[in-house]
Amino acid sequence: MLVQFYNVSKIYPKGKALDDISLKIDRGEFVFLMGPSGAGKSTIIKMMFREEEPTRGQIFIADRSLVRMKRNDVPKVRRNMGIVFQDFKLLERKTVYENVAFAMEVVGASQRNIKARVPEVLSMVGLRGKDNSFPGELSGGEQQRVGIARALANQPLLLIADEPTGNLDIDNSMEILNLLIDINRKGTTIIMATHDRELVKAAQKRVVLLEKGKVAADYAPGEYVI
Amino acid sequence: MMKNLVYFFREALKSMARNHLLSFATISTVAICILILGMAILATLNASHLITRLESDLEIMSYLHKDLSPAQTVKVEQELKAIAGVDSVRFVSRDEALRYLQESYGEDRYDLEKTLGNNPLPDAYEIKAVDPHEVPLIAQQIEQIVGVERVSYGKELVNNLFLATKWVRVLSLIFIVLLSLGAIFLIATTIRLAIFSRRKEVYLMKLIGSTDWFVRWPFFIEGILLGTAGALIAILLLAVGYDTLIGSIQSVPFMPVVSNRTMLLEVYSGLVLIGATLGVLGTYISLNRFLDI
Repeated sequence: MLVQFYNVSKIYPKGKALDDISLKIDRGEFVFLMGPSGAGKSTIIKMMFREEEPTRGQIFIADRSLVRMKRNDVPKVRRNMGIVFQDFKLLERKTVYENVAFAMEVVGASQRNIKARVPEVLSMVGLRGKDNSFPGELSGGEQQRVGIARALANQPLLLIADEPTGNLDIDNSMEILNLLIDINRKGTTIIMATHDRELVKAAQKRVVLLEKGKVAADYAPGEYVI
Repeated sequence: MMKNLVYFFREALKSMARNHLLSFATISTVAICILILGMAILATLNASHLITRLESDLEIMSYLHKDLSPAQTVKVEQELKAIAGVDSVRFVSRDEALRYLQESYGEDRYDLEKTLGNNPLPDAYEIKAVDPHEVPLIAQQIEQIVGVERVSYGKELVNNLFLATKWVRVLSLIFIVLLSLGAIFLIATTIRLAIFSRRKEVYLMKLIGSTDWFVRWPFFIEGILLGTAGALIAILLLAVGYDTLIGSIQSVPFMPVVSNRTMLLEVYSGLVLIGATLGVLGTYISLNRFLDI
């Protein structure tokens, strides 16, 4: 198992965000986290990155407990994950190439590895030739491809996408979805939070439906037809 | 590690260039702080130097009764030498005293002996103490010796001197502490703004899996560079200014100044170290609050 949540609750001063959630995700899976805003999708994602800690319960990523983990060990866990944001979070002053290289530089990769890997991931996401463009010169769909390339740069076991198509039109959304499915097919586990039903129906993957901080339903691939 | 070092320095320099106005303001303020700090240190050094010189010149004159026999005079000398803390005892005959007086009036224009008819001065002993601070105590004991008519050692001068030294040290210490706090505060503000303008980058770095130190180093280097640059400018101004001052003062006799090259070099390199330390402290204050992701 790659991701395991055991009876996880998260209580903020303003109320309960997660209520006794248990969830298992295996290596190689593609899982949608669905539900209305405030259902707990973002909280689950933040906990996987250990940006937040649970109030109660246990979380394991690749068999390491994230609860009461030493501060020094947090970067090691994060290096096994890539994250894709709704608002892309690209660095405007850096080129496409530099944005992707940044992810490798900040974990101490050598220039030689960076020079070999960046063109590889850029062609994987279909952005070959855009190396020297700045994010402001790209369309939304292209910017999100840069975001995905950056998340893939360090060859993560797990790619987490938080509403990656939230800022895109339907055509670009489908393209991004197909790109993620393609990446999943090559072995990377993917967890994608979204509330776009059309996209989820088209993908035919596992769907975890969240409501009011609880798992309301867990559909196997192909079961989600609503 | 080497490739990281290059990365850290590049990021630090980029950040300084990006906020060049603030960097300039910080360097200037650090320079002013270090300059005043340096002036205070040099002033203290010179004051101590002057005081040590005056202290070592401090001597007790014990004037003897005029009708003392040579045997009695020798006895007084033995008693003087027996006092604890006395370094040296020198006999100053009345003739020698008169000669000295005449010399200090200068040339031979006045023949004092002729003018006065006879030598009015008494014989005396000139006593030096091992520790200048014990002079008042030793003087008290000398007063008890039979045959000594009067003791003089410039009581007020000694006390004022020690008081002045103490105050110079206390005041410059307070001044230096206040100035350092000002410099630290400014560097902290600059680094806080540098972090703020890069908060998205820092957030990404942390989520991608950078270690805390990988995120911190560029900011520390920026703080150290700002502190050191300010210190170097201050030292340049200080060295040029002090050299000019020494040049014009050394022609004045009896004005002792510290012109020892090694000592000045120590002061200057100490100031660079202080500049760098201020940079580290300022960065440290700002960093931990912003990196907790």
